[in-house]
Amino acid sequence: MPDAEEHLGRGRQAVTKGMEAPPRAALPHVKSMVLRFAVIATWLALLSPGFAQERIQVVTTTTDLRSLTEAVGGDRIAAVNLVPASMDAEDYQPKPQDVLRLKNAHMLVRVGLDYDLWIDRLLVQAGKREIARGGPGYVDASFAIAALELRGMSVGPGDGHAHGSGNPHYWLDPKNAEIITGTILEALARIDPANAARYEANRLAFLARLRVKLVEWEEKLAPLKSTPIVAYHNSWPYFARRFRLDFAGFIETKPGVPPSPAHLAGIVKTMRERGVRIVVREPHEPDRDVAFVASKAGASVVILAASVGALPEASDYISLFDVNVEALKSAAAR
Amino acid sequence: MIDPLMFLWPAFLVALCLVGIHAYFGILVLARKVIFVDLALAQIAALGATVAFMLGHPAQSFATYGYSLAFTLLAAVLLAFTRAWGTRVPQEALIGVIYVVAAAAAILLIERAPQGAEHLKQILTGNILTSGLNEVAGIVPLYAAIGLLHWLLRRQMSGTGALFWEFVFYASFGVVVTSSVAIAGVLLVFSFLIVPAAIGVMFASSLARQIVIGWIVGTITSAAGLAASFAFDLPTGAAMVCGFGGALAIAGLLYPFLRGNRQHALRVAIATVRWGFAVILAGSAIQLAAAPRADQPLLDMMEVAAPSLRALYFTRAEQTTFVEASDYAERYHMEAERLNSLEKRNRTEGVAFDDVSVARISSFLKSYGEMRKGEQFVMGEVRARARERVRWSVSLGLLALALASAPIRWRRLWTPGMGQARS
Repeated sequence: MPDAEEHLGRGRQAVTKGMEAPPRAALPHVKSMVLRFAVIATWLALLSPGFAQERIQVVTTTTDLRSLTEAVGGDRIAAVNLVPASMDAEDYQPKPQDVLRLKNAHMLVRVGLDYDLWIDRLLVQAGKREIARGGPGYVDASFAIAALELRGMSVGPGDGHAHGSGNPHYWLDPKNAEIITGTILEALARIDPANAARYEANRLAFLARLRVKLVEWEEKLAPLKSTPIVAYHNSWPYFARRFRLDFAGFIETKPGVPPSPAHLAGIVKTMRERGVRIVVREPHEPDRDVAFVASKAGASVVILAASVGALPEASDYISLFDVNVEALKSAAAR
Repeated sequence: MIDPLMFLWPAFLVALCLVGIHAYFGILVLARKVIFVDLALAQIAALGATVAFMLGHPAQSFATYGYSLAFTLLAAVLLAFTRAWGTRVPQEALIGVIYVVAAAAAILLIERAPQGAEHLKQILTGNILTSGLNEVAGIVPLYAAIGLLHWLLRRQMSGTGALFWEFVFYASFGVVVTSSVAIAGVLLVFSFLIVPAAIGVMFASSLARQIVIGWIVGTITSAAGLAASFAFDLPTGAAMVCGFGGALAIAGLLYPFLRGNRQHALRVAIATVRWGFAVILAGSAIQLAAAPRADQPLLDMMEVAAPSLRALYFTRAEQTTFVEASDYAERYHMEAERLNSLEKRNRTEGVAFDDVSVARISSFLKSYGEMRKGEQFVMGEVRARARERVRWSVSLGLLALALASAPIRWRRLWTPGMGQARS
């Protein structure tokens, strides 16, 4: 039960927080690495006295988590995401540089729910206790999230990873950002207690902005309430729940497997029966299959971003929703 | 039954066009012994498109096609050259190297333009199901023109000739492959190219007859693959490729009966089947004796086919436990599905659940998952223990069956004096 272990780990850390060394404790580790990598040593020597050392280095797997971490950390942190925007995080191939990024990091934020399984092996390779599972800098952002569409089991043979631990696209519900930023805040306060108040203020300011925006988005999407929509990949249950949207079907039934003719015929039939006018696709999904279904049923294709940066206008967490809401609204008006 | 037809006939039409040109090219490719040349050319074309994409041209533009074509022509020069140059390394090795280098180079380029990754994937995977009359309108004139060119140059094309004619062959083939791979994907195009041609070559010696046999085989197999894909709800491209594999296997099995020594073929076939059985049975026996708790593919398959077989080696108590656990697992699964669909309906219907209710559903789902997993664990454990108990007797039985089915001449081994007489 990794979750329970994490809980316990957290509790223990909370008790011993006062005795914990300040974040500079990372220095000896960096030092030993400096000895090993002469090139990096020069690089660090050039950068670190200035600002790099001051800021808390955070690695996130996706752009969404980076945006949320930045919202909490503000200018006190420097965050990088491993998966480039507009790439599918589920089959990302880590690069050697990623290990280096993890070695330099004080904190790691991951999506969890089997979405970014590759990070586990990368963490082993980086061998940094601080950000390993159970360490103070390890953040599984799915912690305390109410996962939807759980079909399998969280305990599999071995290390507790099995498929079906829920739909992993939970950041697409803006309300979940409250929980995610809460988890991030907790970790930042653990690593850098001196600035905890600042992080808290950042988070509250962000959530206040988000709350205003949420009302605006809900108003804009209200006309789509009973409009059936078909999507290529099932990335949208949380989004649908929050904005009361009706995703009537998905073109792709299993990730990476092309749809069968019977399934496509079924989708087209559903679309005709229910009068589906909108087919949603993400920028990295095959346009031909989507265009085929849309043309057969006389619907229009809308490109939505499921992640920050997947579309150029979706540059941060809030603009991600701005872009998607506008795209859906104008498609419904057509 | 109108729906599937409406869905499948454009794909079938596209398949006909592809079979038409690829069966012909396949025969030439087989004759030149450059089996994997289409993969290399398709990958080179994809590399060209990637370069165009990086330079900022949109995916479907004329410029992108131009880059693909230019890269393909360059590859054609390279292929014609390697053919004429002649080293101790077979040309097929160089084709393989061209393929992997083009694929790796495309990955390196894509690193710099991640939005191109999907584009690259599409170039190489294709989906014949979602292709239609637009694609037919595009490829028919192109294939007709190339077919005509080849008919006019039939003397130069049939053999392996001068450098220039080799270049013409690879260039025209590259143009065909570039467009067909984008429609149907590399796996299916490879099947279109090799399988009908191979069957044609198997059963005829003149080019015309080989092509006709290839066309017939290709058409029937495509239709069967499409139909199977609809009937059994399978991805179309993969189903068709497996269909082509099956066609080649059937043709290969029939060949000796139609063309060779029938009796010898029958003897070999029976001996092979018997050896196959013997190996499977002996393997299962060893697996059961050595690791009774591990997967037992043969026993598992038999139990799936006839669950009552379990009664043969389960005790009464084990049977009850097994059935109960199985019922509970099914019940938890149904409960979880019911909750899932309740939550899904509530997204749009009725008053939306508040966050606490959603969290409660989520935690129920998690618990049901764990409970089902627990029941499945019980089922596995009961079966493993029962198998552990009977491991020796069942292994011996399987081994005896294996020996009985192996085509060994027992009588010769037993007869005294036989061995000595031989030595």
